[in-house]
Amino acid sequence: MRHHIENRIYHVEILPPKQDTEKLHEDLELFTTKYNRVKESGYCACITDNAMGLLAFQGPEVIEELCLKVEPSQVMIHLNTFHTKANLHEILDTCVAQGIKYLLIITGDGSDRLPKLTPADVGATDVQSVTSVELLRYIAKQYPGKFTMGVAFNPYEPQEHEFAKMERKMAAGAEFVVTQPIIEKNAIVDELLRKYPDVPVIIEAWMSKKLYLLSDAVGYEIPEDTEFDPIETLKQIHRDYPDCGVYLSLLGFKTQYHLISDTWVRE
Amino acid sequence: MKIVVCIKQVPATNDAKIDPETKRIIREGLKAILNPFDTYAVEEAVQLRERFGGEVIVLSMGPEKAALSIREAVSVGADRGVLLSDRAFGGSDTWATSYALANAIRKIGDVDLVICGKQAVDGDTAQVGPGIAAHLDWKQATYVMAVEDASDDSIVVKRMHEDGYDICELKLPAVVTVVKDINTPRIPTLRGRLASEKIEVPVWKPADIGADLSKIGLDGSPTRVVRTAPPPPRNTVTKKISGTSAECADALIKELRLRSIL
Amino acid sequence: MRVNDDKQKNDYSNVWVIAEVLSGKIQPVTHELAGTARMLADKRGSEVWIVLLGNNVSEQAGTLFAYGADKVLVADDGSMANFNDEIETRVLVRMIDKYKPEIVICGATTRGRALIPRVAVVTDSGLTADCTELDIDPENGDLLQTRPAFGGNIMATIRCSDHRPQMSTVRPRVMKAPDPDPGRTGEIITENVTVSDKIDIKRILEVFHSSEAAVNLADAQIIIAGGRAMKGPEGFDILRAFAARVGGAVGASRAAVDAGWIPYAHQVGQTGQTVQTKVYIACGISGQIQHLVGMQSCDLIIAIDKNPDTPMMQMADIAVTGDLFEIVPALTAAIPKL
Repeated sequence: MRHHIENRIYHVEILPPKQDTEKLHEDLELFTTKYNRVKESGYCACITDNAMGLLAFQGPEVIEELCLKVEPSQVMIHLNTFHTKANLHEILDTCVAQGIKYLLIITGDGSDRLPKLTPADVGATDVQSVTSVELLRYIAKQYPGKFTMGVAFNPYEPQEHEFAKMERKMAAGAEFVVTQPIIEKNAIVDELLRKYPDVPVIIEAWMSKKLYLLSDAVGYEIPEDTEFDPIETLKQIHRDYPDCGVYLSLLGFKTQYHLISDTWVRE
Repeated sequence: MKIVVCIKQVPATNDAKIDPETKRIIREGLKAILNPFDTYAVEEAVQLRERFGGEVIVLSMGPEKAALSIREAVSVGADRGVLLSDRAFGGSDTWATSYALANAIRKIGDVDLVICGKQAVDGDTAQVGPGIAAHLDWKQATYVMAVEDASDDSIVVKRMHEDGYDICELKLPAVVTVVKDINTPRIPTLRGRLASEKIEVPVWKPADIGADLSKIGLDGSPTRVVRTAPPPPRNTVTKKISGTSAECADALIKELRLRSIL
Repeated sequence: MRVNDDKQKNDYSNVWVIAEVLSGKIQPVTHELAGTARMLADKRGSEVWIVLLGNNVSEQAGTLFAYGADKVLVADDGSMANFNDEIETRVLVRMIDKYKPEIVICGATTRGRALIPRVAVVTDSGLTADCTELDIDPENGDLLQTRPAFGGNIMATIRCSDHRPQMSTVRPRVMKAPDPDPGRTGEIITENVTVSDKIDIKRILEVFHSSEAAVNLADAQIIIAGGRAMKGPEGFDILRAFAARVGGAVGASRAAVDAGWIPYAHQVGQTGQTVQTKVYIACGISGQIQHLVGMQSCDLIIAIDKNPDTPMMQMADIAVTGDLFEIVPALTAAIPKL
């Protein structure tokens, strides 16, 4: 992951088609276009796992079914705890078969239809419910050497609690961190960098103009009248965090993509 | 084992909104989905086939677009489906619906087991499963929470009751209705979804299943809705209570006393 | 049976109630339905009969007259010790053919909802589930059955003019049991269970009675329910304490059930139970639509939540903004022990 930062490889989030889509084939085509564009740009495509609890097809199966080419350093798969054990192994086995190496392990959002992994499924005896920590530990044990796994960091949660969790995630085998989106320099993210100087940290940058969506996603209030220019904010993030990678969420492929080729500059 | 799963397409309530006036759910303009309880029936049938071999056939009665729900069942492992669709079936109550489904099951032929969800979330009657069993004169087990064992000629199930549960053995053929506890339905894979788009879903008319026209549709339904009315509206004013926890508890106790609840 | 005119309808008379027997005991829903049957029979000038099926239940038959029965029709047989739908259907169908009731009412319990649809098909009768109101046309005996449809969004009134008998199920606690009149008496009629009733049936291998499974939310007057905000299985202890104090039941949202904090039997909502209690107290339940459809027909809805803007807080009759972990125990403490 250090390689991604040194070579200024953006992490670009792509959502796979939703399960309830009425135009699956169009959606698959759009996914292919985005995936290939990210790949051709030399960036890393980050594919979500039922984001916000909305049922979608899985990144690895889409890649397999559509015969998309995988360059190991250019694909990252999100994986959360809302799966059956059989389904989890199917996803991981597909990742291995397709040569996918990077996983972002998160606890995730449930929904009515999504089953959750049980502690017994992942061989955890000391917990009531499975979080990213148990999932990480389980994958590290079941698939030794196969994956490079990262975890999420939320600077909007109570700090003490979040850092205690980060300690457990690191102990379980996390090798990189992706933060929740920030729109300015953040003291808690700074603290994270101080605590883990050797761990690659990827800052998530919010690329949508709709800040209220960010409020919903991270659960912290942003004043509605805040002026927000995503591209300028992105440039500022690079200036503030020159040693971090950047993860672009909700990037507009039509309106913004061509603008990011020269946002990541080094003085 | 040849298994028929009876499913129903129902309005989705998950993206429904609340009417600010009546504080009830607005049902108009909702998407159609596979009845949530039926997903457990489909999953159980697919698991039985995976364990014991055989075939899973999905059967539904409804408008032509109900074929989508049949395809959804195929995307998670059912082998094929049949749709009963015709104006003459319209307006069927649970008696007439179970008559038509039973006739279709006879026509499919050599069926060992019929699985239904406990009830459909739009009608909430839970009557069609036992109704099918009665029309076929097969044994039945309702509120099934586990299939303990199965063989070529029998099935052992665990039934839920108000005061506990029991385990019973049914010689096949039989009809079972299942509750949510029974399994965790799988989510369609992309491969399954793409395959389900390619299957043919035959549409059967009353004549195809040898249905007596006086026993289907409105004419074949003993019950008749003669009036519908909105339920008494919910209190449109929400009484708001806040303050310290002790104040809240006090105020709430007062409200309960005022309504003679305590 | 299809009937073509009033003359054929008049071959059928009296209002029957199918007694609900659990673990060998007649359940209160039987008394509630007896009260409703009495009202219908009085309007029509007919009799109330209660059908009692089971094993060693005969001695309880006499207790039913006090609730309004004129006759009790008993079939007492070892084969009905446990719930065998096929035997009960055959016995009941034979009784119906012989005595021709105008109306048959049964509890909308797991047993009633398994048995009556089967009987209705065999006897070619109309059946309406989960009625909340029953009335009768005194002229021709047509039953007017009202039930909620579409998750309680519409009340539908259903008639079944050209079939007899007419059948309904009613959920426990929807009707009010009459005060027993110990002076009332009546006649007990015994029906036999035949050998042919007992062939080709399912074999009940084991029976378990468990109190954990006995969460009949539909039976409760007050439900206090918890969601994700309960934070863990321990959170439900404060709800249990409250429920125990008021004689209520504990419900849960799907999120809490899926997290494994409380068994599925407690789940209220589209894939759980639909409840119509007097009081529903939602604690930290944001109010996903799937949950709301399961409880929106309760008489009084109280919501307790930190967040005043959730759908549940907006729907509630009383919305309490605050910390449920403090408010609920304070409520429990303020209610005198029974």
